[in-house]
Amino acid sequence: MHNSSTGFGILSLVTFLPLGAALLTLLIPEQFGKTIKAVAILSSIVSFIVSLSMLGRFQGGTFHFQMIEFVPWLKQLGVHYRMGVDGISIWLVLLTNLLMIVCTIFSVYIKHRVKAYMVSLLILQTAMLGVFLSLDMILFYTFFEASLVPMYFLIAIWGGSNRTYASIKFFLYTFSASIFMLVGMIVLAKLHESATGVLSFSIIDIQSAVANGRLWANAVQLEVLIFWAFTVAFMVKCPMFPFHTWLPDAHTEAPTAGSVILAGVLLKMGTYGFLRFCLPMFPDVVRAQVFPIMVLAVIGIVYGALVASVQPDWKRLVAYSSVAHMGFVMFGILSLTHTGMMGGAYQQLNHGISTGALFLLVGLIYERTHSRLFKDYGGLKAQMPIFAALFLIMMLSSVGLPGLNGFIGEFLAMLGGFESSASHMFGLNWWFPVIAGSGVVLAAVYLLWMFQKVFYGPITNVDVRRLRDLKLWEVSLVGVLVVFAFWGGLYPNTFLKPMEAAIGATRLMALNPVGERPSWSDLSMEIDKKGNLVQVTPRAPGGDLEHFQVERIIAPAELHFRMEVERTTAVFKEVQARR
Amino acid sequence: MFNSTYDLIWLVLGLPLVGFLVHALFGKAIIDLLGARLGKKMVGGLAVLPIATAFAIGIGLTYQLAQSPPEARNVTLRLFDWITIKSLSVPFEVLIDPLSMTMVLIITGVGALIHLYATGYMSEERDYARFFTYLNLFIAFMLVLVLGNNLGLLFIGWEGVGLCSYLLIGFWYKDIANAKAANKAFIVNRVGDWGMTLGMFLIVAVLAGNLDRLGVKDGRWLSYDVILPNAVNVLRDHPVAATIIALLLFIGACGKSAQFPLYLWLPDAMAGPTPVSALIHAATMVTAGVFMLNRLHVLFELSPLASAVIACVGAFTALFAALIAFGQTDIKKVLAYSTVSQLGFMFIACGAGVYWAGMFHVTTHAFFKALLFLGSGAVIHAMMHDQDMRNYGRLLKYLPITGAAMIVGWLAISGISIPYVFGLAGYYSKEAILGGALAGQHAVANGTNYGLVSGWVGLGVAALTAMYMTRMTYLTFFGKQERWRELPAHGLHETHPSHESQIVHARDAHENYGRDGHATADFFYSESEMALREQLENEDHHHHLNPDHTPREVSISMWFPLVVLALLSIFGGWYLERNELFKEWISPGASPVLGEVSIHPQGIQLVWLSFAAAAGGIFAGILIYGRGLSEREGWDLSKWNPFRRAARRQFYYDDAMVGAAVGGGGIFATGLWRWFDAAVVDGMVNGVGYLAAGVGGLFRKLQTGYVRGYALLMFAGALGFLGYFVWLISRTAVGQ
Amino acid sequence: MTPLWQYLALGLFMFTTGAIGVVVRRNPVVVFMCIELMLNAVNLTFLAFARYSPSVTINAKNQVQSWMAGQMMVIFVMAVAAAEVAVGLGIIMAIYRLRNEVDVDEMSTLRG
Repeated sequence: MHNSSTGFGILSLVTFLPLGAALLTLLIPEQFGKTIKAVAILSSIVSFIVSLSMLGRFQGGTFHFQMIEFVPWLKQLGVHYRMGVDGISIWLVLLTNLLMIVCTIFSVYIKHRVKAYMVSLLILQTAMLGVFLSLDMILFYTFFEASLVPMYFLIAIWGGSNRTYASIKFFLYTFSASIFMLVGMIVLAKLHESATGVLSFSIIDIQSAVANGRLWANAVQLEVLIFWAFTVAFMVKCPMFPFHTWLPDAHTEAPTAGSVILAGVLLKMGTYGFLRFCLPMFPDVVRAQVFPIMVLAVIGIVYGALVASVQPDWKRLVAYSSVAHMGFVMFGILSLTHTGMMGGAYQQLNHGISTGALFLLVGLIYERTHSRLFKDYGGLKAQMPIFAALFLIMMLSSVGLPGLNGFIGEFLAMLGGFESSASHMFGLNWWFPVIAGSGVVLAAVYLLWMFQKVFYGPITNVDVRRLRDLKLWEVSLVGVLVVFAFWGGLYPNTFLKPMEAAIGATRLMALNPVGERPSWSDLSMEIDKKGNLVQVTPRAPGGDLEHFQVERIIAPAELHFRMEVERTTAVFKEVQARR
Repeated sequence: MFNSTYDLIWLVLGLPLVGFLVHALFGKAIIDLLGARLGKKMVGGLAVLPIATAFAIGIGLTYQLAQSPPEARNVTLRLFDWITIKSLSVPFEVLIDPLSMTMVLIITGVGALIHLYATGYMSEERDYARFFTYLNLFIAFMLVLVLGNNLGLLFIGWEGVGLCSYLLIGFWYKDIANAKAANKAFIVNRVGDWGMTLGMFLIVAVLAGNLDRLGVKDGRWLSYDVILPNAVNVLRDHPVAATIIALLLFIGACGKSAQFPLYLWLPDAMAGPTPVSALIHAATMVTAGVFMLNRLHVLFELSPLASAVIACVGAFTALFAALIAFGQTDIKKVLAYSTVSQLGFMFIACGAGVYWAGMFHVTTHAFFKALLFLGSGAVIHAMMHDQDMRNYGRLLKYLPITGAAMIVGWLAISGISIPYVFGLAGYYSKEAILGGALAGQHAVANGTNYGLVSGWVGLGVAALTAMYMTRMTYLTFFGKQERWRELPAHGLHETHPSHESQIVHARDAHENYGRDGHATADFFYSESEMALREQLENEDHHHHLNPDHTPREVSISMWFPLVVLALLSIFGGWYLERNELFKEWISPGASPVLGEVSIHPQGIQLVWLSFAAAAGGIFAGILIYGRGLSEREGWDLSKWNPFRRAARRQFYYDDAMVGAAVGGGGIFATGLWRWFDAAVVDGMVNGVGYLAAGVGGLFRKLQTGYVRGYALLMFAGALGFLGYFVWLISRTAVGQ
Repeated sequence: MTPLWQYLALGLFMFTTGAIGVVVRRNPVVVFMCIELMLNAVNLTFLAFARYSPSVTINAKNQVQSWMAGQMMVIFVMAVAAAEVAVGLGIIMAIYRLRNEVDVDEMSTLRG
């Protein structure tokens, strides 16, 4: 179906614009540092504007990929240049480009090897955007791994004192985990070949074969293995509990822009991969695998929070808090309820904004004092009231205060997790949301403790005593993120609406039996206003996707799991009797 | 969108928010522009005005609501859709009904008075604008809390007021103890919110999970108009689920309203400025739990077991806090524990099923507790910010207005009355609570009438209340000695650590700046600017109480609110009780689960009993404290009797909890980090790395680095291959 | 016409000399000369075989190709050898400038 060349379009432009800027930057001699910075900043702003125009063309009511680009490439291998965007990826693209503006502007503080730095940053941007936009597994894998290289250099060259160790650990750890994913991709493509006769690495083709049940029909025992091959790669990237140790080192040692990008975007590649591969491609085994992953998510939430609460280092604390927050994302996604998955997907964005902003703020102060240790601070609020106010807002967003963005995602994710737990789905039980909920308390513990250490109390450090407040441009830099924190918390519908159809379809792909699964290749399928999977009047590819005529309901949405009070009561009584 | 007079409610909500924004963005600029005196007047006025206007509008709306027939006193207005996904819809909707309007009046009315008071109280504060920023924001959040038509909005307000409480407790953040108190308040509240959110989730899960039975279409699972009718349908036959929901929500109420396991943040919260204690930690925010129980009373009524738990927790807290109050010497701490204790009364009412009595007590308590706090603030203000009652005595002579107002408050909280004729505010509400509890119609579980038990406990606590409040009043205003006259030079301050900054002025150290040598100039203040800043800071040094101090009555902006509140404390209860005005107002339609709960227990002469409790308590108090401070409660703690010493330390409950949470948790988390995360988890990761390195190390010996060695190896390899092929060919040749 | 084995014997002799030289000599320039010797031994062998190869006549065109192949290979080898010498001598010069001596046994910084 998608196999006639469309040529390159806006998605390619969005993806490769930074790369072009990087090449341009390479031509500028090193001594024109200001020009290099200007080019990078300009490029990131243009990228953002272009991605906004992409958003303008985006149609929110459908789960199908839009603005699809197909350029034949390696025909014999079934690998082609395929790009497309849907409700999940579009916000990640915008988040990437937004944070990139912040990062390039902040990077005026970089003083040595500016050219190499900016080139790394811009190449990294292309790699990240490529991950979110590619619809071909090999292309995805290429971008996924390509993002490691510039990040490696960012940490290894411009990082902190322990940067060599951190960068090598980061590279090797995430790289070796994604090897499993590559194996999984090849197996998927071969299975697709044996099922349909066509070798294809296209995500759309493979998902379609999965949806109609042909792909796994003859390889039932393989499905769970391949599921874990993908899952391990994404769990390391996320990172989830036992695979998280690369993160504190990398986050702490990375330069500020690196930390912002790492926390804001790179971690999302893991959860995005989960939504894009692990749920739609393995519908027969997902249910059974929810339990172990949920266990890890819940452990991660509490564990990350506990460890964060005793860190002596500012950045390390925020880094461990990422472990906890990404635990919430996974908790929501893996609940496989509509609410929870929406929450998880939304929490990705929020985490990018709020943790990104926290790293940025830490970076601003680090530029001044060159210390990340709490013992060097105290009483900063009297000295830098604007900085303190900005930090407070972003901290509260991270705490999950209602009215700020962090709350919406966390709340929905927890609610979703609660719904499937309370309904005893997937072997889950009450303990999951109860323990995960304690993570919210612990979040307050470590974040307020951090705030107290840095901002309250008397000023004990003479360095701090002489600090001026933030400059205007710095305030507006953080201010952009603050605006999004409020926007995301007060009117989340802006962001939730466009992703709803895609999330709903992903959920049905994972949960429904053969014949009732949405298929990305079948344009006559849609998700209607109530979330049902419906048959619609056929439309031309690329036509109006939002307004469709419903012909019949293929599968009802069942947005909520049935929770029988009788059953819950019985379980509760059983627990009581056991005591 | 806006088409009825009720739409004025958006103004009520919006005005404090506008006030907040104005103060946050321009407050400091106004003060800088107009100079300290005029600027502060301006900022203070801008803070009081929105709240007072909101109050006026609130009165109008309440009046209009009261004009409509009881069953029509229920207006829902929608502003926009907050969260809308297919499975859940949380609109930004307000609900105007008697309950919410009562709270609105308390919040804006008492709030406006306290704002006015604060303009005087905080007048010497440098961060004047910041204070009113927080205070206005608090009012805005509190209004969202009470006006919201769903649990989502309630939760915005719920956590929002918690945030303002956090900010205001830590207002004087240079003292790390205040910052810690603020943290404690937020975190303990978060524990409550944990239960609260789980309760909300369970409501959604239960309702949405039984979707087919209910036929709710738009997913507004958190809206009261969906929850309350449907909860009855789903939960009526399922006591366990109902009980769990009620208890989870009650955990939230325990946090916010400072009930027993979670009360311990409230006494520490007294670190904030006194108007904050009056507004947030006495009159409004801490009653949010009671408000929530009232709002969702159906859910609680569905479970007698949960009601029994609530009544018992309330009674125990009332008793526990009253006992602790006897060991306190800090005037604000006494009032703090008294607040905890009174909140306990409100929960007794809710547990016993007389929800309206709980709200009644919320209202009267707002009057007299705000009065007492503001009065204590006036005393503290007059006594150079010394809060220890052991330094007071005979202050009525110097502070006649404050003293008279405080005496009204004292009598009101004691619940004194002329039986069958007239009572002060506290009397009527306490009477309703105890009557409802002693009637014992609701909180019955496992055959035990916990309502009755908590009623009797409550009666005892009423006597204790009268007694410790007498202690406070006598130590402060009466007696023969003016004890601050005998002050030793310094060192008596147990509760008010000095604000002196501990900075070391190491001028030489300034030379260390600019380690990078670039662009540091605009990061740091220059020497001259530093001098200016230090000069400014030295201006507001703190005076301390000294033996020659003569207290002076406070300014009108401070005593005027006292007088208003005193009048309300005298007549408010009587007015609201008349013709059962308040009861009729607050509980219009009969509750769907419980019938009306009587407040007239049979066979108990409650009027005389409560009179005896109040009068007896006061009498006993006068007997003990009439002669001033005794040695047994003096500065030397070793002369105190063990009970009182234990009471002073909250019977070691706080120490144990904080020790376990902070100390134990810290040790555990550090251990987790160092021994598990760094050693085990990361150790495994690095172990894999070392393994690879080790295996590689075995082969590295081959790399000698000698070119000639490599060449020889190459030739040997080439010869080897050659030999192999020759052998291969010869073999096949032989084969042929 | 000189028999084939004589060419091969000379090639073998040259190659062996070169190989032994590469292994035993420590002066990199001499090592290079020895490598040249080896390459030329190979060249000689190629040419000899090319000259003596039986012409497999499928058609005129193929016959020409078959005896051209060996000579073509020689051209390749010479080109590669020239490039190698250029790079190699450059490296040797750089090392000499750095250390003021050239001895292959001293160039062992890549030791594991």
